Amino acid sequence: MEIFLSIPFLIFMPLAVSLLLISPLFTRNEIVIRRFSKSVFLFHFFYSILLLAFYDSANPYVSEIHFFGLDWIQSMGIKFIFKIDSISMIMTVLTSFVFLLAAFASKYNIRKNHKFYYSMLMLLMSAILGIFTAADMFVFFLFWELELIPAYFLIGVEWKEPVSCYDNRQDAKNSAVKFVLFTFLGSMIMLLGILLLYYYNFVSSGTLSAGFSDITDSLIPDGMQNLIAICLLIGFGVKLPIIPLHTWLPDAHTNAPTPVSMVLAGILLKTGAYGIFRFNYQTLPESFMKIAPVLAVFALINIIYTAFVAYAQTDIKRIVAYSSISNMGLVLLGLCAINQIGISASFFHMTAHALVTCGLFMIAGIVYLRLKNRDINTLSGIAAYMPRLFGFAALIVLASIGIPAFAPFISEILTIVGAMNSDFSDVLKLVSVFALPVLILSSCYMLKFLHNGFFGEGEYEKIYDISIHEFIVLASVLAGLVIFGLFPDALLNLIQAG
Amino acid sequence: MLNDIFNILLPHVCLAGFIVLQLVLSVVMPIRRYKPARFVSLTGIALSIILLSTVQTEPQYFAFKDSLMADSYTLLFDFIILLCGFFVTLLSKNLVKTMKRNAYTFHAILLTALFGAINIISANDFLTLFISIEILSFSTYFLIACAKGYYSKEAAFKYLLTSAVSSGVFLFGVSYLYGITGSINFSLIYENIVQQNGSVMYSISAILIIAGLISKLALFPFANWVIDVYKGTETSILAFLSTIPKLAVFGIVCRLFVFPLSGSFELTFAVAFVSLITAFWANTYAIREKNVKAIFACSASANSSYAMLAACLVSVYNLSAVIFYLLCYVFMNLSVFAFLNIYGDKKIMNISDFKGIFYTNRGLAGAYIVSVLALAGIPITSGFVAKIYLFTAVASSGLIFIPFLLALLILTVFALFYYLKVIFPLFEECGKNTDEKVLHPVFSQKFVLVTTVLITIFIGIFPEKLIELCRFIAYNI
Repeated sequence: MEIFLSIPFLIFMPLAVSLLLISPLFTRNEIVIRRFSKSVFLFHFFYSILLLAFYDSANPYVSEIHFFGLDWIQSMGIKFIFKIDSISMIMTVLTSFVFLLAAFASKYNIRKNHKFYYSMLMLLMSAILGIFTAADMFVFFLFWELELIPAYFLIGVEWKEPVSCYDNRQDAKNSAVKFVLFTFLGSMIMLLGILLLYYYNFVSSGTLSAGFSDITDSLIPDGMQNLIAICLLIGFGVKLPIIPLHTWLPDAHTNAPTPVSMVLAGILLKTGAYGIFRFNYQTLPESFMKIAPVLAVFALINIIYTAFVAYAQTDIKRIVAYSSISNMGLVLLGLCAINQIGISASFFHMTAHALVTCGLFMIAGIVYLRLKNRDINTLSGIAAYMPRLFGFAALIVLASIGIPAFAPFISEILTIVGAMNSDFSDVLKLVSVFALPVLILSSCYMLKFLHNGFFGEGEYEKIYDISIHEFIVLASVLAGLVIFGLFPDALLNLIQAG
Repeated sequence: MLNDIFNILLPHVCLAGFIVLQLVLSVVMPIRRYKPARFVSLTGIALSIILLSTVQTEPQYFAFKDSLMADSYTLLFDFIILLCGFFVTLLSKNLVKTMKRNAYTFHAILLTALFGAINIISANDFLTLFISIEILSFSTYFLIACAKGYYSKEAAFKYLLTSAVSSGVFLFGVSYLYGITGSINFSLIYENIVQQNGSVMYSISAILIIAGLISKLALFPFANWVIDVYKGTETSILAFLSTIPKLAVFGIVCRLFVFPLSGSFELTFAVAFVSLITAFWANTYAIREKNVKAIFACSASANSSYAMLAACLVSVYNLSAVIFYLLCYVFMNLSVFAFLNIYGDKKIMNISDFKGIFYTNRGLAGAYIVSVLALAGIPITSGFVAKIYLFTAVASSGLIFIPFLLALLILTVFALFYYLKVIFPLFEECGKNTDEKVLHPVFSQKFVLVTTVLITIFIGIFPEKLIELCRFIAYNI
């Protein structure tokens, strides 16, 4: 069985398919392209499930790629090495799942340039999987940069004929540029951190290597460690996003087509949190202990500020986008707790939030597709016309505000408990005291969305309820939320094993 | 003397022979038979590349009373310069068609420029260096001016003026250095300086010499020419202008940093500042620019400044990084200009002219996008590896230069912005009134584009062997 489970195949299969799709040899028939990509995503999901099934937390999957018998850049000690431990395993399966959902959601939202679209989606998937599995800093950085290009095109290029004032091409282009510039700025500062870490590790310990396992932070001088940690945090803070660096996110998520928004909010934001975990928490633990209290305050600002901003929004997609930032604040708070409960809660919340946000963006997309309108003040009474959509929307909104029996309930409570229990700083306890009541704010804006949009009187011409594709997406999101809400142990055990 | 020629100068002699041949042909051949000119040039360059194998490099060979030298470093640069010359000659087909009468003369001048460039690399004293630089510059004026129209003449004149000024500055610096040390030979100067332990005069002369040389690299004090000149130059000549003078001058500047001018810390700092200012100027200027040629002019300037920062912090590691960066950079640039050449030269090439090219010419546009992204330093291309390697070299040069590095890294974000601005219109749909433009490249243009893009991707995936080569050469300088 071992022979069939290969990490390079997992990562580079989408890349190969991407090249195949974009090549002139492949057909231009949109139905063929769509079905082919969907089946590739489905296959990839089952493959990652297979990996999960045979996963043994005592000996994680490791794989190293050689080029003609050499490491990638041998003279700099850079190896193309991948490792899937339990954290990476969860993120890999989650990535695969979210992309599968996005592929299903693409049917009605993508109307032209199918070849290019699916190719870029595959490339993005490859890059994100690379980020989650890389075991070498420079390889991590390589995939971190690689992800920019497909994301740029997915946000900026025109994928269907504009139908209303929301489909402004110039806006989409601008927000794509904004996304890329913010991320690239962050990643350049992150690169400085990586270069310094690489160099000072070489100077102090004498090993010329950029692998995560070869970094011995205790030998690097304290001041330099803090500098490196801050550089890295700025890079990840743009992606996460941490508050002053967040302004790209609402624009990018609003102007992207629905499936791309799902991928961005569902997976792309998690790469930032994953980076903080890998670099700051695992590789530079000493300096992270010093920075964590400050970071926790930023997390609290994330939670409170964006909740208020979300309440003031009228565009459904913007509400969801801001709620993502708020939720990522919670993820950050969990990481800052630096104890087992906090970390596992953080990754649990990433999973739960990925599902919730996919569902919410899907709902927003469905509403927009039918009514050509996303303004919460002018929408009303959809429930009478689309009862099935209303059912799903009500359940997913309830899940997102932390009602028991759904996954976010568990993760929110665990995060607060984790922060309460952190014994190294009083700031965290204080933050957790503030964070708990603030969670109510999320119900304010989410219920406003549900109430204004679905209840009341509305006059529409004949509109169709959800189709089979949309049903599959919403139902699988809901199933995931309920399963993890009722049986959180399955996931938590896996996280804690790592 | 004959011994010297046979040992290291056969490629030079071969090129010189073909220059004479072209000039003779220009008199003998009838006007309508202009086509063989290109093939004569290609044969000459190919023959010189083959003759490079006869050059003796172990460990170093000095010829003509120490005025010329050869080692593995010069060999590598000669090879790359001649290869670039080969590609440029392939691209020049459309340009030559517009001036049938002067086709042979044009090719003679192109070969002369190549001759000057490889001579710069081999120079071992300041006199040879100066003469070689002038050979290269004078040929370049003619090459720029040979396209039809007012713009090219303006560009050539601007280039001439800047080059003249910078030559003056260079000579001034050399005269000081001669005054201090009593010699113009690199090795003798180096020995003298080591004994004297450096002085203010020495630093001033070193700064003047480098300031004179970096005008060819479009670095700050002499950078203003670059935008106007690029705007007015034909694309195949741009492929020449952005690679060959740059390679030649970087080749000699790196050697100067290592040998005769190594004792001056002021010089290092001055050059580091200059490269920072250049990066700032070039990257911010390009943001508002709409002309594609002008954007690539800024990009050329910015790229030299990154390499210059690493080059001035002299060490084996940095030197190998610079060499590797240059090798990657010339191929990216060649492919960019090959695409512009296929697109067809126009007086003003705006970004919006490229609308919708991706949908009509997928292969060509894809290659162009890859090379532009390589310039921006996006992975799977050589640009990513080159940038990482270069920045690692700077980071390992000491804490003082970390702020410089940070500034450069932030400036590359601006660079990404304008590179994206260049490629985005390719994906836009054309308006209803405009025709879809389908490109019809000839074989030689396609060959250049495909080869250089493949090299770019290949180095990006398998960089190790080339890095080892660069290390070996940097170690043996």
